[in-house]
Amino acid sequence: MPVAASHTFFEDPKLNDVVTSPAMTLTEAHLSLYSGITGDVAVEPGAVAELLPLCLSIGLGWRVPQPPLAVLAFMSMDYQIVRPLRVGDTVYGTSRVVSRRTMREGGIVIEDHEIINQRGEVAQRGRFTFLVARRPA
Amino acid sequence: MLSYADMTPSGRRYFEEIEVGEEFESPGRTVTETDIVLFAGLSGDYNVLHTDAEFMKKSIFGERIAHGLLGLTIQSGLFYRTGRVFATLAFVGLKWKFKGPIKIGDTIRLRTRVASKRETSKADRGLVVVERTVVNQRDEVVQERETELLVDRRPACRWPPATRSSRTPSSTMW
Repeated sequence: MPVAASHTFFEDPKLNDVVTSPAMTLTEAHLSLYSGITGDVAVEPGAVAELLPLCLSIGLGWRVPQPPLAVLAFMSMDYQIVRPLRVGDTVYGTSRVVSRRTMREGGIVIEDHEIINQRGEVAQRGRFTFLVARRPA
Repeated sequence: MLSYADMTPSGRRYFEEIEVGEEFESPGRTVTETDIVLFAGLSGDYNVLHTDAEFMKKSIFGERIAHGLLGLTIQSGLFYRTGRVFATLAFVGLKWKFKGPIKIGDTIRLRTRVASKRETSKADRGLVVVERTVVNQRDEVVQERETELLVDRRPACRWPPATRSSRTPSSTMW
C-alpha cells in the first residue's frame, strides 16, 4: 500500500525514545462536541468524559517534530484511567515505542502512551498496538 | 436477552443491582461521513485512512474508514442506550481489540455482558467488568473486549450524604 506524504515508517522509530506532544486545555466546547458526535457523556458536570483526552492525545501526537507513524491499522489497546480530569485541566501526551516486530504486510509497533496533567501527574496511560507500513523500496 | 425495546426508563442502578451474566443490546447507529469528518476535526487525527478518499481507493479497504477511536467512543455512547444504565462513578480501564473496519454507512450496535464484579477497598464503590462486542449490520464483530467500571454502591443511611465531587478527585480511585 503506497503512503503519500512523509511518514515515520516501521523501520524508523528508535526503541524507548520518549516523544512529548504539545499541551491542550480541556474545555466545555470539547465536551459538547465530543458528546454530540459520540453520544458518550461525562459522569457529572465539570468532569471530562474519560475517552475524550485519549482522542485528543492522538491528534496532539500529530503535532510533534517527527512525521506521523504510517499506521495501516490500529489493532488493540490496553488502557487505564488513573485520575479523573476536569474541565480547565491542561494535558499533554507522551509516547514511547516499546517493541517492534515484522509482519507480512508491514510491522507491528507497540507504543506506551501517557496523558499528563498540569501538575505533572499521570491521568491516563495505555499500551497501543499498531500495524505500520514498511518504508517503500 | 433483554433488548432496548423491552426496557422501560428507570433509575441508574447501583452495584448491588447489577447481575453477573446480564446481557444487553443497544440500538443501532449508522456511522456517517459526517461523523468521521467531525471526529477528525475534534481529535485532530487527520490520518489518510479517515480523510483521503482517493488514497483509500487504492488501499485494502477500498474507501475511507472510521477512526478506531470513533467506534470505541460511539459504543461508549451506545452503552447509555442499552436500557438500564449503571450508577457509574468512573470508567477506569479498557482492554480493546479493533477487529475490522467501520465504513461509511455501516450500522453498528453494542452487545454487552457483565463478566464479573467485585468489591473494592472503598466501601462506596464496586468494580464491574463488562464484556463488549460491537457488530455491524452483517453481524461481523468490528471491535470487542472489556471495560472496567467503578459503580456506586447503594448508599447506607447517613446524613449528610457524601457528595460525588468530594469523592472522585482522589489519587487512588479504587
